Amino acid sequence: MERPTYRLFVLQIAEQQPIFYFNPINMSIRELLNDYTPAQGWDEMFDGSSVRPAYQPVMDRLAAMGFDAIQKYHAQAGELFMSQGVTFTVYSEDEGIERIFPFDIIPRIITGTEWAQVEAGIRQRLKALNKFLHDIYHEQHILRDNIIPAWLIASCPHYTREVHGINVPHDLYVHISGIDLIRGEDGRFYILEDNLRTPSGVSYMLGNREVTKRLFSNLINTNPVRMINNYPLLLHSILLSLSPRNVRQPMAVILTPGVFNSAYYEHTFLARQMGIPLVEGRDLVVSNHKVFMKTTRGLEQVDVIYRRIDDEFLDPISFKPDSILGVAGLLGVYRKGNVAIVNAMGNGVADDKAVYAYVPDMIRYYLNEEPILPNVPTYLLHDPEHRAHVFQNMEKMVIKGTNQSGGYGMLMGNKASQEEIDLFKKKITDNPREFIAQPIIRLSTVPCFLDGKLTPRHVDLRPYALCGPSGIEIVPGGLTRVALKEGSLVVNSSQGGGSKDTWIID
Amino acid sequence: MLSRSADSLFWLNRYIERAEGLLRTLHTSYVLSLDKGPYVNDSWTTILDIFSGFSDDEKRRVETTSAIIVEHILLDPSNPNSLRNILTRARENARSMQDHLTKEVWEQVNFMYHRINSNSIDAQLTSGNEIAVIESVLTNCLLYTGILESTMFRGMSWDFMNLGKYIERCLLSIDLMEKQITINDLSEEKDILYWRHLLFSLSGYEFHLKNYRSQDANQNVVHQVLLNDLFPRSVLYCLQHIDTYLGNIVQANDPADPTGLLRQFGRIKSSVAFADEHMIRQTGVPQYLSRLRSDLYAFSSTLGQTYFSYA
Repeated sequence: MERPTYRLFVLQIAEQQPIFYFNPINMSIRELLNDYTPAQGWDEMFDGSSVRPAYQPVMDRLAAMGFDAIQKYHAQAGELFMSQGVTFTVYSEDEGIERIFPFDIIPRIITGTEWAQVEAGIRQRLKALNKFLHDIYHEQHILRDNIIPAWLIASCPHYTREVHGINVPHDLYVHISGIDLIRGEDGRFYILEDNLRTPSGVSYMLGNREVTKRLFSNLINTNPVRMINNYPLLLHSILLSLSPRNVRQPMAVILTPGVFNSAYYEHTFLARQMGIPLVEGRDLVVSNHKVFMKTTRGLEQVDVIYRRIDDEFLDPISFKPDSILGVAGLLGVYRKGNVAIVNAMGNGVADDKAVYAYVPDMIRYYLNEEPILPNVPTYLLHDPEHRAHVFQNMEKMVIKGTNQSGGYGMLMGNKASQEEIDLFKKKITDNPREFIAQPIIRLSTVPCFLDGKLTPRHVDLRPYALCGPSGIEIVPGGLTRVALKEGSLVVNSSQGGGSKDTWIID
Repeated sequence: MLSRSADSLFWLNRYIERAEGLLRTLHTSYVLSLDKGPYVNDSWTTILDIFSGFSDDEKRRVETTSAIIVEHILLDPSNPNSLRNILTRARENARSMQDHLTKEVWEQVNFMYHRINSNSIDAQLTSGNEIAVIESVLTNCLLYTGILESTMFRGMSWDFMNLGKYIERCLLSIDLMEKQITINDLSEEKDILYWRHLLFSLSGYEFHLKNYRSQDANQNVVHQVLLNDLFPRSVLYCLQHIDTYLGNIVQANDPADPTGLLRQFGRIKSSVAFADEHMIRQTGVPQYLSRLRSDLYAFSSTLGQTYFSYA
């Protein structure tokens, strides 16, 4: 009788697959590396033709492992993700397909010194953004002092009038953030965008590290890589610290839209790692200005909701009336202060791509400091001068919708056809507030193991920061997203991006 | 615990138990269909009646083509009771409450789901490897039971899961027994060969040979499947376990038992615990079984109203 063993099965499948796709001859890593030609711009691993010192131990290790082993690990990594259910769902033609988030086994390395600057920059930025959100939903000094034009805020679809004047615990709005950074040709880090609503991907960051540990235990234990896996514990203690009720064991929950959401894996992962219930809207009910969940024991009061649902779906009474994902009456409870919502409602006004252009001004205004990490130069298209300049240089620009994410609704000027460019010009002229333009920046590259070869691919970096009453903690590392298509600068998972484990090495 | 989670845990184990029952019955049918003995014509009837989506005409047409039957029972997406659909539903339930399962349990359910949906299964079936496929999936069901036993924390999740498992098992034993006696009624004496299908499907053939010496096979089988509390697929054994887990759940949630769940269940249990095989045969075995089943359905729906209502 056939008796497949449980754990080993993963490896068996991997071994059944043909291992050599392109390299019938057993090529050594040295040869692979000799073939590697860094693309134009900043390469993370190579400085000209020599390997940067931080990467040297990894390179030596890879060379010692040999090509076969790397091929095998590459296949195993995919199987590991699949068997653990680490998947996201892609929707096309009404049918959801589960995919793994492609993972590249060669880590991306950032030195401790570089990281210190990133950390300081993000900390400063988050402080300013928190102050901005408090200000904009209370006195609005920043508008009165003409730092940001009032019409820009008024025309932002995510400016939420309904939460004006609501006081949130510890005046904290952005508890969880994922601020995207890129590295330009000069090797400097730039802020690409702020994600202050429900940034996702942290489970992939942690999952990548677990896979690296399993596949390359000998590689990671000889390098002083900073630990990242206390993220769920930090998050848990922040959630509990926000409880409006002064009880010994406050009830914190994660609110998910359900199994059909593309980030569902992450929701279950975080619930498991924090040991808190994963609830859906239908599990919750509002009664007597409090939120309860329906349990086998009857109703139990909920104190803190880490929601993974956008604002407009949270409460059908106040926002979209046809949404069944949220909880009727939630906003009322929030206003009364009987429940904490994480991240706060209305944060979208601060990560609007047009408001982004004003974040350096916010830092100067609220903190009286100079920004540590620069923005990417941004053209606001309602300004006739900016617009004329952009229209003249369309092929050097990327146009982004101010309220789009996931790589949707954007135009890369260097790749677009004349029709597409004309179409965007017309859209911009009709609704200038809905678009911004930025010069195309050649993102830095890292070698990736693709089709049996090492080839340069563009990457960005999303570090995850947690703000609690006792300060801001930034997990040393983050998610390095890779644009897997050759020459592509779009790293979003919905656009065929992948990811890498990210090491901060001292 | 969230009502929705309790519901999913309960159904996760009902589905896996159903999958296990399906596989064992399918295995039995397949193996017995290869024996050219006295009861060979009936070997597919039970499984087709319980687990296929075929009409009576179709059943008669496919009866002798084992390849079609196996494919239909294991993989046919249009058959609501095919193994593929059962495992897909089991996994949907598991996926929506991973926070109540251990990682090992989740990975096993996920693995079984991917296995039944993989291309290699189709290939193995078309190359005539039916038995190997059935056995390997069955082994994985057993592995699931073991993983659950050795990794799951005891508590309310565990109690709801086991409640689902034993209710499903009890209903399956009732169904299988009922099918076997409606093929031929019990008025005439049957030898043990006639009962082989049922006993193999319940993995109780060897147990029977060891424990029953008298010649009245009908009487013995009725005793084994309904009343023998040492046989893990007997109705009484299942009811005793339901009793334990139900007791734990009531204790943990609403010790006052306002809905009388315990009383309702107590009546069902005593109708088996205090019965004997003569009395049951006097009532008529089919009548006794169908009464038991409708009582269990009614109990199940009270259970649902008490603990699972959330939408």
